Amino acid sequence: MNASTTSRTATAALANSNSRFNGLWTVFKKEVIDNFRDRRTLTTMVLSIVMAPLFIIGIQWFAESKVKQETDPVTSPPFELPVVGAEYAPNLMNWLRQNNISIIDAPDDPEQSIRSGERRVVMVIKDNFSPRFEKGKSAPVLLIHDSSIGGLEQLGMHQVQHALSMFSNKIAAMRLQVRGISPELTQPIVVNTSDVATPESRNSQILGMLPYMIIMLIMAGGMYLAIDSTAGEREKGSLESLITLPIDRRDIMLAKLLATAFFSALTFLLVLIGFIVAMKYAPVDSIDLVVEPSRVAYVFITCLPFVLVASALLILVASFTKSYKEAQSYLSFIMLAPSMPLIFLFFLSPEPSASNMWVPSLSQALIIIETFKGEPIASALVVLSMASSLVLAAALSFIAMKLYQREGILG
Amino acid sequence: MICVTQLSKSFGSVRAVDDVSFSADDGKITGLLGPNGAGKSTILRMLYTVFKPDSGTATIDGFDIQKDALQVKSNIGVLTHGAGIYERLSARENVRYYGNLHGMRGSALDQRIDELAELLEMSDFIERRTKGFSQGQRTKVALARALVHSPKNVLLDEPTNGLDIMATRGLRKAISRLKDAGHCVVFSSHIMQEVAALCDDIVIVAKGSIAAQGSPDQLIQNTGADTLEDAFVKAIGSEEGLI
Repeated sequence: MNASTTSRTATAALANSNSRFNGLWTVFKKEVIDNFRDRRTLTTMVLSIVMAPLFIIGIQWFAESKVKQETDPVTSPPFELPVVGAEYAPNLMNWLRQNNISIIDAPDDPEQSIRSGERRVVMVIKDNFSPRFEKGKSAPVLLIHDSSIGGLEQLGMHQVQHALSMFSNKIAAMRLQVRGISPELTQPIVVNTSDVATPESRNSQILGMLPYMIIMLIMAGGMYLAIDSTAGEREKGSLESLITLPIDRRDIMLAKLLATAFFSALTFLLVLIGFIVAMKYAPVDSIDLVVEPSRVAYVFITCLPFVLVASALLILVASFTKSYKEAQSYLSFIMLAPSMPLIFLFFLSPEPSASNMWVPSLSQALIIIETFKGEPIASALVVLSMASSLVLAAALSFIAMKLYQREGILG
Repeated sequence: MICVTQLSKSFGSVRAVDDVSFSADDGKITGLLGPNGAGKSTILRMLYTVFKPDSGTATIDGFDIQKDALQVKSNIGVLTHGAGIYERLSARENVRYYGNLHGMRGSALDQRIDELAELLEMSDFIERRTKGFSQGQRTKVALARALVHSPKNVLLDEPTNGLDIMATRGLRKAISRLKDAGHCVVFSSHIMQEVAALCDDIVIVAKGSIAAQGSPDQLIQNTGADTLEDAFVKAIGSEEGLI
């Protein structure tokens, strides 16, 4: 080997390491620009920023305003209660009217009117009511209702039940006093409670939904790029041309993975921003959550390893498939995979520990919930979560790289 | 300069390329002619390094396609079969992407793209996004990006597929200019007239092997035929795939 070939090899090696980064950066930049011009990407971004306010705050706001409207004795319209045999209990009827319940005539077939959804509750009073009531015995009142109807529709039933038990207690106390007995005798125990929950932790309902949404949107944010840059590029015939260029196939794959991660992370950030804004300006009394920017930054950074897991998973599955359509249908299923551990979270609400903080998606969900609750998780457990997610991301990327080196990648 | 030596490649039990040897000189156009499925694309795919040969090898400007794949890639420009371009990028951005990946930058690159736009007569649409381009316009963009780094060797896999007559003529003119500029051009086709009109050397491929090779005149002489068409039929032993 002479001097000139030695120097040529050295120059080539230098150019090689230089071009390696250049190749990676060029592919990354192209994929990012290309994807920004995709309308579907912009739709996903807009969705992700309005999703948190819309779903979390929206549902809460709707429920709250509905409850207020239906139960506020001053402003809400009276609840219409059909009563069969109202004439047997005039005092009770007066009491109900005072409690914002208006008494109306009963339909011919009360049970049918409940079944058909025409009425929520019908009260039936028999002729034995007043004789028993006057003798100081328990007087029967029948409430016909349908327990299978949900949520807010039960409000009327609750209101009637509440009014009835108030009336019952009042009469009981009066009867005892008339007989010279203190009503306290019937209350052996008085229960007082002292709630130590912080305002933040009382919002656990909202916080329970947040991780699910974040994790789904992280997956959705990178999905189009992952499909487009792998299965899509192969289907359009531009991949074959691309791998004839002097750049390592593993670098091409890595650049596409990083571009996917870039969009997943961006979506994640947008969800968090939407959440901050919503918390600050939400017209909902029951939400009392101060989202400090430092906590948001902490959540973003500690959950970034999951962004890599999601991107690697998307790229791997998309690279495996033969066509754009196939990739799309597989990825719709893959989107659900990270939400599986979250179902466990919903049912058991486990405390963060070494036995669950290594599970990707579950551990990030716990970090999100606990951080916003103001009950930070031990750093060792957070490191465990980050490390295990990074290992999984690396393993998935490694398999994807192997896949890219096969001839079969051309389909 | 491309030298192919005893190249073979199988897919499962199918022998797609069987002991193929030929060479393609600088300043000449070499045509791989053969019916569909003869193995032309597989030969080219091994030359542009996306397939690994089972046995045999090839060198491009002295670089081995397996051992020096990276240098080979730097010295070739490839138009793959049915090459796709990026629809959300403009024609210029498509070409610039490949230039960047070859390590080209800045005004030198833009100047080169202008040159190519003129050579390939694509100045009218160079700044437009390529969504909605005609097949001819797409092929020009794909060819421009293949040539952006001024490769010494140019490999074209069925470049005229799907082009109308005007676009085909334009492409032929571009290929001739490459030859005049001293490039080594190899292109595959199943259309005999096209190969006859353009090529200095013809390699006739049938069923994975080389049936005959040489200049058009040599082929006619060697097979004892009257026309190139007859020579082609005699060489591949059937009329299958002749257009």
